[in-house]
Amino acid sequence: MPVPSHHIIATPPPFNEPPYPADVFAGQTVLVTGGGSGMGLAMAMAFAQGGAHVAVMGRDLEKAQVAAARIAELGVKAHGMSCDVRLPEAVAAAFDEAERILGPVSLLANNAGANFPVLAEDISVNAWNAVTRIAIDGTFLCSSEFARRRIALGEGGAIINNSAQYIWTGFPGDAHSAAAKTAQATMTKKMARDWAAYGIRVNAIAAGFFPHESSTAGRREGGTESLQNMIPAGRTGSIWEFGWLSAMTCTPLLGALTGQVIVQDGGESLRRSLMMPDFVPPRERAEGPWGWR
Amino acid sequence: MGWLSAMSVRLVGESPAIVAALTAQGAALVDEGDADVLIHVAAPTLAKPAHELSHAEWRASLYAGLDQRFMLAKEFAAAQRALGKGGSVVFVGATEQALGSDHAAAAGALGNLTKTLGVEWARDGIRVNTVLTSADDATLGNLVAYLASDYAAYITGAVMGIGLDD
Repeated sequence: MPVPSHHIIATPPPFNEPPYPADVFAGQTVLVTGGGSGMGLAMAMAFAQGGAHVAVMGRDLEKAQVAAARIAELGVKAHGMSCDVRLPEAVAAAFDEAERILGPVSLLANNAGANFPVLAEDISVNAWNAVTRIAIDGTFLCSSEFARRRIALGEGGAIINNSAQYIWTGFPGDAHSAAAKTAQATMTKKMARDWAAYGIRVNAIAAGFFPHESSTAGRREGGTESLQNMIPAGRTGSIWEFGWLSAMTCTPLLGALTGQVIVQDGGESLRRSLMMPDFVPPRERAEGPWGWR
Repeated sequence: MGWLSAMSVRLVGESPAIVAALTAQGAALVDEGDADVLIHVAAPTLAKPAHELSHAEWRASLYAGLDQRFMLAKEFAAAQRALGKGGSVVFVGATEQALGSDHAAAAGALGNLTKTLGVEWARDGIRVNTVLTSADDATLGNLVAYLASDYAAYITGAVMGIGLDD
């Protein structure tokens, strides 16, 4: 159903009005993992709007390079590269490459992740390993590589992790990602503690539903229009408001913010009522959010 | 251009850091009447062990930390609804375990109240968020101003802190 016309929907300012000055990250370089598309690209664009040079890391080199070209249109230097964040040597090499071309990486956005709806019993070892290790090991490896370099330089920095709104409730039908995204959030808090003395801040966004061209919902038949009314806010998120909040946490405007997991989901994770539709186990749902099988 | 330019904010309670940030972001502060934003800052209560708290002290904390906040928010939301306008509410206070059991009760209640009102009023375009922290600095001011503004249009029912121990 469409959102009734008498409901009031809060909307963000347009993309060309970011919340921080165009030079807030001037002279800094951000490395964005999974930056070639979707939420990672939105993070990359938001950092670029604040003047950061951007190293775009993705599994697919060509996609990362296309994204870098788009980011460069915002007037910053951008470099696309390929990396498997599950491999420590590959992560170190990617940091070397980024720093050789763009200078020391002082900001890190951990977005790399894979996710697809699947019943727990249908998750293969390979699928489990891929989803959990990209998010869990990938975030650990990139963050610790970043921190070692910042500590060696005697300089601080900021990390933002892309977590998810379902980290407190579980996510039936998405067991691998439910586990992975919560691991990211809890490591956020501990790393913030580990690196506070070095001036490195670590925060996470527990993100809701931000459809984009490469998300499952974005490819949904009929588009995302029919999904707006299921969110308490009356709409799915605009990808740039996610990018902005991610970048905001890394600005000096929020210079004391660390160890926080900020939920940005339009109230999606909170909707419940005493009386709800009958519970149907994921296996027996004729249609999942977008069809189980 | 600030995050809150052309917006009016009613701030209840004391916080120079929040006033500075609101002003820097272009907000007009008002004491009474219509406002686009309601911010309520609760003063810290005395940190006493539970067995040394009188019921009167307990009640005063719960009033300042919970009851008064609910009543003000309810009044604010009703006024906005009557005007056909959305708005936002930000509650600010100390972290749950920072003071006495009176504050712990009030802050915990406030957190879940925030999540509830955020959804209950979502389709009125009224957002409700809470910052529980021991910080009283520029980051607090900026975070509260950001939450109050349309930049946080997709943040509602959120409870957050600032520092490691929040």
